[in-house]
Amino acid sequence: MPTPVSDRPAPSGSRPKLERRPRQNFETWSWYFMRISGLALLFLALVHFSITHIIYDVVETDARFVAERWDNPLWRAYDWTLLALGLLHGLNGLRWIMDDYISSPTRRAATKAALYSVTGFLFFYGTLTIVTFQSG
Amino acid sequence: MSGPGSSTVYRGKAGQWAFITHRITGFLVFFFLLLHVVDVSLINASPKLYDEVHQLYGNIMLRLFEVGLLGALLFHSFNGLRIVMIDFFPEAIRNERVMFRVVVFFTVVLTAAGGFVILRPFVEGRIL
Repeated sequence: MPTPVSDRPAPSGSRPKLERRPRQNFETWSWYFMRISGLALLFLALVHFSITHIIYDVVETDARFVAERWDNPLWRAYDWTLLALGLLHGLNGLRWIMDDYISSPTRRAATKAALYSVTGFLFFYGTLTIVTFQSG
Repeated sequence: MSGPGSSTVYRGKAGQWAFITHRITGFLVFFFLLLHVVDVSLINASPKLYDEVHQLYGNIMLRLFEVGLLGALLFHSFNGLRIVMIDFFPEAIRNERVMFRVVVFFTVVLTAAGGFVILRPFVEGRIL
């Protein structure tokens, strides 16, 4: 923890001011989230791609393949983590892109509303698929 | 204006290309993910339908698309590592151009290697 700054006593009843520590707002957290989720996704996504396209050929990854894999709850957890982090990381990245390139506030709001709706729906739909899948 | 010591300023060189390519590859991978959630979710509606749709991924056009997806994933991953390194170790900006070349090198080599595996069934004539 940073040390309290000033040589003045802190006003009684309030917390001491901290030195050189900007307020941690949502954008700061989203910045950290992109780096941490990015590092996780690097492994999650590349391992996933290697299994489904390199180790096995893509035509081998049929419904039976999925059923065998999802027999193991750890693979369901893996796939769900990849789904959740991938969608959130992509959602936030697109939010940044929209902030940069869509200058009209109305169009930006409309595009973001569409992005959030589609992503939210697919997060719900994908989660439902992973959780409720039953083989056979 | 450019020269030694000016590497912390964006001047439309390696850093600018890395930035643009990072956005484009991220955009493409995200839209593939949206599509992928839908195609996998077909398995609950009907495993047979899932298999039929999934066989399309073995088609040569979609195999080429998968090689492109691999390239986008690899570039975004390695360039993301480069960004994280520069963010957390600011001195690394001095080697920015070298780091960008390393990113491009590994992207190209690993995409070529993975692409060879993905396209092999087509090259050997086992699929159309």
